[in-house]
Amino acid sequence: MTFVRDDLRPLQRRVAALLAAVGVLFALIAARLWVLQVVQGPRWRTAAENNRLRRLPLEAPRGMVTDIHGEVILDNRPTYQLLLFPEEMTNRARTAAFLTALGIAPAEEIAARLDKACRTSHLPSVIADNLTWPQVAAVAAHRAEYHELDVHPATRRSLPDGAAVAHLVGQLGEVSPEQLAADPALRSGQLVGRSGLERAYQDVLGGTPGNLVVVVDAFGKQVSALDEEPPVAGRPLRTTIDLNLQKEAAAAMAGQVGAVVALDPRDGAVRVLLSQPAFDPELFAGHLEPAKWHELVDDPLKPLHDRALQALYPPGSTIKPLFAAGALRDGVRTPADTFFCTGAVNIYGHLYHCWKKGGHGRVALEDAIEVSCDSFFYHLAHDAGIDRLASWARTFGLGSATGIELGGENTGLVPDDAWSRKARGHPWYGGETISVGIGQGPILVTPIQLAVAYSALVNGGLLVQPHLVEGRGVPPRPTGLPAAVLATVQDAMARVVAGSRGTARRLAALDVRIAGKTGTSQVMRKQEGVSWQQLPWDERHHALFVGYAPVGAPALVVVVVVEHGGDAASVAAPIAGRILERAFGPRTEGQAVTASVAPAKWPAPPGANRAPSPAPSAAAAPPAGRAPGTPVVPAAALSRIAAAHNPTRR
Amino acid sequence: MRKLDPWLLLAALAISVGSYLAQSSTAKALATPGFANRQIVWLAVGGVLILLFAFTDYRVLARLSPFLYVASIGVLAAMFVIAPVRAGTHRWLLFGSFTVQPSDFARIATILAVAALAGEHRNDLLDLRTVARLAAMVGVPALLVLLQPDLGTAVTFGPILLAALWLGGLPWRAWVGLALAGLVVVACAWFWVLRPYQQERILTFVDPDRAPYSSGYQQRQSKIAVGSGEVTGKGLQSGTQSQLRFLPAQYTDFIFAVWAEETGFVGSALLLAAYALMVYRVFVIALSARDRVGAIFAGCAAAVLGTQILVNVGMVTGLAPTTGITLPLLSYGGSSVVATCIVLGILQSIWRLRYANI
Repeated sequence: MTFVRDDLRPLQRRVAALLAAVGVLFALIAARLWVLQVVQGPRWRTAAENNRLRRLPLEAPRGMVTDIHGEVILDNRPTYQLLLFPEEMTNRARTAAFLTALGIAPAEEIAARLDKACRTSHLPSVIADNLTWPQVAAVAAHRAEYHELDVHPATRRSLPDGAAVAHLVGQLGEVSPEQLAADPALRSGQLVGRSGLERAYQDVLGGTPGNLVVVVDAFGKQVSALDEEPPVAGRPLRTTIDLNLQKEAAAAMAGQVGAVVALDPRDGAVRVLLSQPAFDPELFAGHLEPAKWHELVDDPLKPLHDRALQALYPPGSTIKPLFAAGALRDGVRTPADTFFCTGAVNIYGHLYHCWKKGGHGRVALEDAIEVSCDSFFYHLAHDAGIDRLASWARTFGLGSATGIELGGENTGLVPDDAWSRKARGHPWYGGETISVGIGQGPILVTPIQLAVAYSALVNGGLLVQPHLVEGRGVPPRPTGLPAAVLATVQDAMARVVAGSRGTARRLAALDVRIAGKTGTSQVMRKQEGVSWQQLPWDERHHALFVGYAPVGAPALVVVVVVEHGGDAASVAAPIAGRILERAFGPRTEGQAVTASVAPAKWPAPPGANRAPSPAPSAAAAPPAGRAPGTPVVPAAALSRIAAAHNPTRR
Repeated sequence: MRKLDPWLLLAALAISVGSYLAQSSTAKALATPGFANRQIVWLAVGGVLILLFAFTDYRVLARLSPFLYVASIGVLAAMFVIAPVRAGTHRWLLFGSFTVQPSDFARIATILAVAALAGEHRNDLLDLRTVARLAAMVGVPALLVLLQPDLGTAVTFGPILLAALWLGGLPWRAWVGLALAGLVVVACAWFWVLRPYQQERILTFVDPDRAPYSSGYQQRQSKIAVGSGEVTGKGLQSGTQSQLRFLPAQYTDFIFAVWAEETGFVGSALLLAAYALMVYRVFVIALSARDRVGAIFAGCAAAVLGTQILVNVGMVTGLAPTTGITLPLLSYGGSSVVATCIVLGILQSIWRLRYANI
């Protein structure tokens, strides 16, 4: 049988063609593998690393702050933060709804935080801190559904003495974009000091944040920790503050608006730095809600304002010892020169009244300080002229910043002819000089400036730089005031308390010998026949007192400014007395140091009474955000202040 | 044994070794240690089947092909009734703990039937009647599989018809007509056959940024896995993409990505070379077959294997849309391994009998 085979050659040609086509495609795939694995390999490796590695920021615990005795002013406590990894977020609305349901913040606030987090999408953002246990549990329970959320242990600032140290410690805030650009060590969302010690000593307290690199699987579950770069905790900071005195000052100032500054006049170490009313520092320990922030900013009493460094006050009669020293040094007056006070002085055809209607009679310089005779100083101012007054004020550091480490200090104003021409466009009027002579008119000082000026009066004429950390201030600069001049002025200031006619003679009853000077600076023109207690709160005079002790070898200068306090002797001086007695008196806890001091006469709400223990006020519900217990300003006054800040309502 | 093609056996063996190593890796990643061992069992069964079919006369199978074909169509049609719905499809039959995918075997029957039909046709060019019969022969099982629905397997029926038509011979005018018809079919398929998720996959392939977290996600993770293997790979069982489960469907459709990630370009090129050798030898078998039936069977088998390899690796490397086509021998699955081995056995039979006179 002959077997006829098919002619397979055409078929084989087609098979060969198919083989060629498939061969080309295989070559294409091989080339693709080459490109992916060899050419683009490193890029894909990075993508794989980004897939599996999560970089968790480890916040550095901020440093502890203590006072001079080692008492804790500022510490940390553990807390839990909620981190968001924006790249993991697949459904933003769902995440937002979950966070809102958790009760972390109102919906619009959550939306704003998510917005912000998505702007730096490659980094995790802190969405909430200070989580409660139920919130931590809820996030943990839903972690399979929300890969983008992670609870993370952290620390939070804790201030045992809260509002008493609020301005001193200052606020934390999220790092600004400019700061981020300037310092690569900072991290988006990181908290940095924004004011007070927290800002001034950010480099000490801040520490260096660390990283934890963890491996996660496709479901966001942490598989292992790969690498840990531990955070470096902030270093502790020991300040010159005396927390006992600071608390005493806060208690004494409860219900008042104003500031207290206490310095060691010998080197400028700050012992007390207080501004009232204060804010609740707990609000700034974490991420502040805008609503709370606006509430604080809109508060007419401006609790965020650090009055000790930033508020400007006419010094009133507290300027008199300074001008007296200047006059003695320059020979404008001698200690023996006298002036007869009739209750008013006629200068330039204008009658300038002494605060005492009948006049003080014949007074020498020391008497004039003891009784705070205005007529004497009107006359002195007239003789000296504004430029000399200004130079005396500048001798004591007024008109320029004291150089304390905390920022935002005001320089105050020492007016003279040059200033008038420049700032006001007209020459200085001679009549204004007379007002400046008693610390009124355009002259303005800050409480801390006043503390520095008085330090120079009592430390042998040295201008110190106030500082909060030992060794920080520049060495004191001599003012060149002769010792005899200073001794005369110091004698006079001792007589303010000890003298039979002294304006602060009520402080003589204290266990501690105090010297100082009262000052009542006018807010409104004096009204005849109206006692200050009858005036509305915001028309009352500011009450000032600068005191120091021990009289022979002063170790503490205390400046007390009570805004609209009305009367220096009965309002400001007792506060200073209380602080000085706390510093130098018998150290028995709970002693009624204020027993001899009459409380402020204007109606204080119940609960704001200052003795024996200043319980936080429950009666006067403060606006949220302001530290509890501080505001006792009558509501009517508040609304008037609010009106004054809002011209359209006038 | 001497009569068998050693190169084809060597290629299959090399791929089997790679399969075990890659499957061990995914078994570790997915914490399913049994998978790699079962794959080895299937590969061993496959080896036995290769020999069994190698020493069977493929011409007998070709003669039986009408019965085999009708039986497999019957099973495919019955699938809609007897196969439980799993993962939304009637794709698998359950025998105890085993699952069998009949479409893999129906494909062999289809290739055999097509080869037998086209092989009987002795003219240089196919006539219209034969073309229509071939189209129906491939179209019916492909449609049944598509309706299960199983797009990936259905797509692998396409190259059978195209290869049969190409090898059987068509005038160039017919190819133009076929191209137009193909366009119409693709358009109809788009609007009436493809499910929204399948449409989405193709759209995502065209525009990967369309949905980075859904269907684009799989392909992106796959490209990351392959690319991050770089030249020498991350080491067996040390691929982060597979071990941390970023890779989807690791032990089936994306198994090549596991291998490429862990062995790098060196390993993936070697594996691709093994596949190239396998397909090349199948073409050689087609060229040396003693008759038209054998040549067309081998040609169609080469086209199917080539398509599976090229589309799967293309999908893994981002050159083709995700279609769910498995990689022969490497992907996990008894049906897939056994079916591939049966085809390889038949091919060995064609090679063994290439000089046979009767």
